[in-house]
Amino acid sequence: MTLTREAPLVTTPVVRRKPRTRDGWVTAIMVAPATVLYIVMLIVPVGLALYLSLTDWDGFSANPAFVGAANYVNLLDDPELRRAALVTLLVAAAGTAGLNLLGLGFALLVNGVSRANTFFRIVLFYPHVLSALVVGFLWSAILGTTGAVNNLVTTWGGEVLPFLSDPTWATITMIAVLVWAGFGVNVVLYLAGLQAVPHSLIEAARIDGATRLQVFRNVTLPALGPSVTVNIVLSLVTLLKTYDLVVSLTAGGPAGQTQTVAYLILWNSFHDARLGFGSAQSVLLMLVTAALAFVVTRLRRRGELAVHQ
Amino acid sequence: MRSPRPIHALTAIGGLLLLAGCGGGGFAGGSQAQQSEGGQVTVRMLVNITPNLTQAYWDGLVKPFEQANPGIDVKIEAPTGKGVADTLPQQLAAGNAPDVVETLTADETLSKQMLDLTDQPWAKDTPLVKEASLNGRVYTVGVGVQAQSLVFYNKATFDKAGIDRPPTTLDEFDTVMGKLKAAGTLPLQTGGEFLTGLQLLQLSSPSRAQAHPTWQQDIKAGKLKAGESLLPFLERYLTWIDKGYVDKNALGMKYADAETAFLSGKSAMYVMGSWFTAAEAKAKKDFEVGVFPAPVDKGLRYPGPQGATMAAPYMILKSTPQKDAAVKLVRWLVTDPAAVKSQLKQDGNFRSGVEREFTPLEKQVQEILDTAPSGVPQGEGYGDATLPKSFNAAWNTEVQGLYVGKSPKEVAEGVDRWLAGRK
Repeated sequence: MTLTREAPLVTTPVVRRKPRTRDGWVTAIMVAPATVLYIVMLIVPVGLALYLSLTDWDGFSANPAFVGAANYVNLLDDPELRRAALVTLLVAAAGTAGLNLLGLGFALLVNGVSRANTFFRIVLFYPHVLSALVVGFLWSAILGTTGAVNNLVTTWGGEVLPFLSDPTWATITMIAVLVWAGFGVNVVLYLAGLQAVPHSLIEAARIDGATRLQVFRNVTLPALGPSVTVNIVLSLVTLLKTYDLVVSLTAGGPAGQTQTVAYLILWNSFHDARLGFGSAQSVLLMLVTAALAFVVTRLRRRGELAVHQ
Repeated sequence: MRSPRPIHALTAIGGLLLLAGCGGGGFAGGSQAQQSEGGQVTVRMLVNITPNLTQAYWDGLVKPFEQANPGIDVKIEAPTGKGVADTLPQQLAAGNAPDVVETLTADETLSKQMLDLTDQPWAKDTPLVKEASLNGRVYTVGVGVQAQSLVFYNKATFDKAGIDRPPTTLDEFDTVMGKLKAAGTLPLQTGGEFLTGLQLLQLSSPSRAQAHPTWQQDIKAGKLKAGESLLPFLERYLTWIDKGYVDKNALGMKYADAETAFLSGKSAMYVMGSWFTAAEAKAKKDFEVGVFPAPVDKGLRYPGPQGATMAAPYMILKSTPQKDAAVKLVRWLVTDPAAVKSQLKQDGNFRSGVEREFTPLEKQVQEILDTAPSGVPQGEGYGDATLPKSFNAAWNTEVQGLYVGKSPKEVAEGVDRWLAGRK
């Protein structure tokens, strides 16, 4: 019988380093500015909006009365809000599609490294640098009833084109201008995504005989998954809050047909002196925006996982 | 082991308190008029900025006051929002309210924040002060009067269409527009933004005031419906759209573009308030502009009561720590002859008993004001005759509905529904 002696288990002693108080203070100091900013810029305003939405504050009085859920009940019965919500959803859906299609399209066009591409990247991003108010006034001067385009059209004997005077045309015009003013950001984000696509994958696909379209569909686009998600969510959230362009381009008209929810919130709160009601509308918009962003992110993530598997 | 979390929380709360201490806030609406060590007082005045009333104009206007009162510095502030109406509540909420506010007139909401000027003897002789008072209390004082129900017209287009005198009834107005259209001119200039609804209010005021002298009060009391009472005007307006008397694409024009279109001879008539005379005086044109009081319904007195609003209204915030200086400034703005004349001229406004150099068109407007039987509040109104805030805007949105397929009845119902929702 051979006795075998089991080798003793060699364990590496775990040295638990006791955090020093100084580390805690350093962490606190480093984190404090961001925490303070987050609380002051996000938590406090949201909390204040929630509180105000339960009052009848007119923006002037010292003691707003608590009205419970009355403002939220009134929201359900507000035809202006229903109309504005439809316009906002339309703007968000069509605008997100436009921003992303143009953004990705132009990103693919100016993806290579050359002087011309650098120039075109600047040109494409330029509209985003302009204030939305300036963009609105600019396009109303171009597309208004007596604007540059209609002057040309009528000079050539044509009928005035109702870019801003017909509700359908005005909504389409607004979406088009929003896309024009914003797609530069999407180009930049997609360009960043394209730089991260491994060249080895593209080269391998080409060696295997894949066409350009096949490479894009089966290699580039799946690799761009996270960029697409970021672009869609950012576009959607931005467009759901569309306000300043409405003010300068259509002023909510004709006949209030291009009023968005954000426009209505500002109008009700400050012009109409119904800050309590406006706050309830803004809480609703915040919840809808958060829910849509969450749903889109989940759907996209599921799609990305499916591609990877 | 000591967790660092409480430190995070303390730091955050400390930071918050620090920030809260730095800013104003809450509902107090405290003013921040400043007083330096040398006894210099700063009075902040929130004003309306327009093409006529620029920042430079306001700065120049108050300079003589500052020179005459070396201890007072007047700081002119332009709106940070869309206008004074939007900016004031934002400033109040931020605890950064001005001392004096121009443009707005007191209503039941605003008056709670404003200084009661009823006991100021100089306030009693200012224009429309009685009409703008609330329950007999004076909160708003103004420089002059703006006539609202005026129709400016291009004399050359009238001559071309063979029209020898301006219309006095609305039926004649229709006939005149028919003749102008037949002569190849767009009869009536209108536009988008707030212009569409404003013009119809201006045009209807003299008739409406005769049919319903206490229109705003009756609506508030539930005795009358606004939309229903104005239905005949809406029906008439729709016929103007259908017949091409107004441009069916007018809603795609901004207010300034509409004014420019009329001043460049593209249309024959333009319904507007007396402030238009200032723009007319500056415009280069090769035709003469005339003006007549808005026509009235058949059988009513012509000229009817003139829609009138207070020009350059001022209010003082109750919260001002510089009450004496603010009162002194406002008194000077509405009573000093040079300051009054300057403001009247700059924005094309009027005040009986104040002589100033008039353009020919301004002379005609002054005559219209002199012959009008009375001045009446229009639309949203002022003083005791005030409808809920934003009535004019709601009316405007509904009236624009006539251009996009709504019937006059639907528009009238929309207006009444809006009012019912504000009770």
